Amino acid sequence: MTQLQRLSVRSHEQVAPGVFLLCLSGGLTALPGQFVMVSVLPDSVPLSLRERPGEGFEPATALPACDPLLRRPLSVHDCRPGELVLLYRVAGRGTVLLAGRKPGDSVDVLGPLGQGFPLSASRQAILVAGGIGVAPLFYLARTLLEAGREVLFLFGAGEQAGLYRRRELALSGAEVRLATDDGSAGFHGPVTGLLREALGRNQGAVFACGPEPMLQAVAELCRAAERECIVSLEARMACGVGACLGCVVPVRRHGLAVYRRTCTEGPVFRAEEVYSCNPTCP
Amino acid sequence: MQPDLSVKIGRLELKNPVMPASGCFGYGEEYEQFYDLGRLGAIVVKGTTAEARPGNPAPRVAETPAGLLNAIGLQNPGTEEARLKIRRLARYGVPVIVNVAGHNTAEYCSVVEALSAETAVAAFEINVSCPNVAEGGLSFGTDPRTVFRLAGELRKLTEKTLIVKLTPNVTDITEIARAAAEAGADALSLINTLLGMAIDTRSRRPLLANLTGGLSGPAVKPVAVRMVWQVAGCVDLPVIGMGGICCANDALEFMLAGASAVAVGTANFSNPLVCPEIIDGLAVYCREQGFSAVRELVGLARRPAAHKAGGTGGCGRK
Ligand SMILES: Cc1cc2nc3c(=O)[nH]c(=O)nc-3n(C[C@H](O)[C@H](O)[C@H](O)COP(=O)(O)OP(=O)(O)OC[C@H]3O[C@@H](n4cnc5c(N)ncnc54)[C@H](O)[C@@H]3O)c2cc1C
Ligand SMILES: Cc1cc2nc3c(=O)[nH]c(=O)nc-3n(C[C@H](O)[C@H](O)[C@H](O)COP(=O)(O)O)c2cc1C
Ligand code: FES
Repeated sequence: MTQLQRLSVRSHEQVAPGVFLLCLSGGLTALPGQFVMVSVLPDSVPLSLRERPGEGFEPATALPACDPLLRRPLSVHDCRPGELVLLYRVAGRGTVLLAGRKPGDSVDVLGPLGQGFPLSASRQAILVAGGIGVAPLFYLARTLLEAGREVLFLFGAGEQAGLYRRRELALSGAEVRLATDDGSAGFHGPVTGLLREALGRNQGAVFACGPEPMLQAVAELCRAAERECIVSLEARMACGVGACLGCVVPVRRHGLAVYRRTCTEGPVFRAEEVYSCNPTCP
Repeated sequence: MQPDLSVKIGRLELKNPVMPASGCFGYGEEYEQFYDLGRLGAIVVKGTTAEARPGNPAPRVAETPAGLLNAIGLQNPGTEEARLKIRRLARYGVPVIVNVAGHNTAEYCSVVEALSAETAVAAFEINVSCPNVAEGGLSFGTDPRTVFRLAGELRKLTEKTLIVKLTPNVTDITEIARAAAEAGADALSLINTLLGMAIDTRSRRPLLANLTGGLSGPAVKPVAVRMVWQVAGCVDLPVIGMGGICCANDALEFMLAGASAVAVGTANFSNPLVCPEIIDGLAVYCREQGFSAVRELVGLARRPAAHKAGGTGGCGRK
């Protein structure tokens, strides 16, 4: 169930230049592929009138901070009872503010949100991550492995430093294959260069998250190989809960092109629904 | 003692003056998981057109300093689907206000006519101001004669409370307010979003696919308070104030400027509990400041200052 909670920072470390691993303690149960909307506003400012009369500041006159105005969507990178882990790249004002949180500070989190990855009964699975796209796939890999599935994890980035959390991934028991554009680690070239071969020896569905061109290339290869392909998309969001209609993507359903909300009907979609569709439709 | 929070908008009685703003609360479905919607003074649903509308291409939203630009393009399921969603809301026992939009007078009329007999509908809020749809909103709301004619036509079609929602994208909002009042509107609501734009300096392209969008959120609040002040000062109709309200203090500003009720839009996105928190905050303020009813606050800032008054009111200025 979606909840609004204040979680406290258990640890917060930089795992690569500009990339942070944020461990929060608190009870939030999420499925792989789901995300949360995080308030990046500094802890010291009363976020809202949530505090009750008589407990500290006066609700009627408390002024909530309002800039940056919106919460930021971040994927669930890992989730265990009492712990929620996020992995994020500093991309602008909001994530810069978030990066300033210290252990013990609290973070206002709305979630879990969206649809998780569909877990088929298949014994095998191929996960394809590009850069920070590893965020939701890490939790998916762990979940699949714990269910006894065989996971082939293809991980691409511009350079070695962009292969975040690759050691932890390898330790989790997934078979990890790396690719970098500059050849500093693994295959020299795009991660899709690994996918062709992978499709030949692993019969499982493909789950992908990463930059748009990568997702399109993965979808194309899967279509040619007639392999099920699931992608996790990003969209600019305002509410995260389905109310504002701000985050839509054109999707093909039963032959018809319609706008679907990334936050509630996604962020996980079947590749053929989103990539067979002309972006200017419907 | 609990202060009396009830207010009246025409014949419509609200148990408190706080409602979500149109387009920021869907048909209530998304927020019922957070609190009992029965706590709200009213529920205003998404802008509804005769037929379903797909809306604008993405990206549709962009954050700006303390604000939000949107160009949703009136995506909605059309009157008949909306009717079912509105009936669902009846369970909360809260007046439901239907926000009506259209391409032309005939479309506004068809929505109002179709829903006028619907018992689940308490009032219509006529969106003459949506700046997003090329042929729609803007032209209606910026011309007093057009507003007069449209509101007059709709007045003939329904006995229900008729609220005209004004656009801030005009030179003199009081002119439009008077036109709506003369045409028989029961109340006015304001402001809708301010037409705005933002450009991404990296891609060197506008941030919205629609190029321009409507600005909302705290960034617009002082403009909204000023417009509520002007309109409340020159039209003898209840006003529903909105634009950037994030907390009880913001809501109080609007009421002191002359609004009988307030709507909260963008703030729901960052804080889903903002509406009930504002309701609680208003009660606390009344108690602490010695008001037995929240309606006593309406327009209080308009009373002459003890010292020499400055500035301008709304009317008699033209
Ligand atoms: C479902 C989902 C899951 C995501 N998961 C992760 C994750 O696990 N790790 C991670 O590093 N990033 C993730 N992102 C992207 C992340 O939300 C943005 O990088 C972040 O919002 C940027 O905020 P900012 O204030 O730092 O940047 P700014 O550029 O200042 O952001 C300005 C505005 O644009 C929006 N925005 C900017 N970039 C994006 C983007 N790529 N996607 C959506 N909105 C954007 C912001 O939310 C904000 O409203 C995810 C996005 C979505 C939609
Ligand atoms: C995403 C979004 C969608 C909106 N849709 C509508 C709409 O359908 N009809 C309407 O009259 N106003 C619409 N509005 C305007 C709001 O109802 C409100 O007038 C405006 O946002 C100012 O209030 P706020 O600053 O509290 O959001 C919309 C605003 C936003 C942010
Ligand atoms: S972000 Fe508001 S509907 Fe998806």
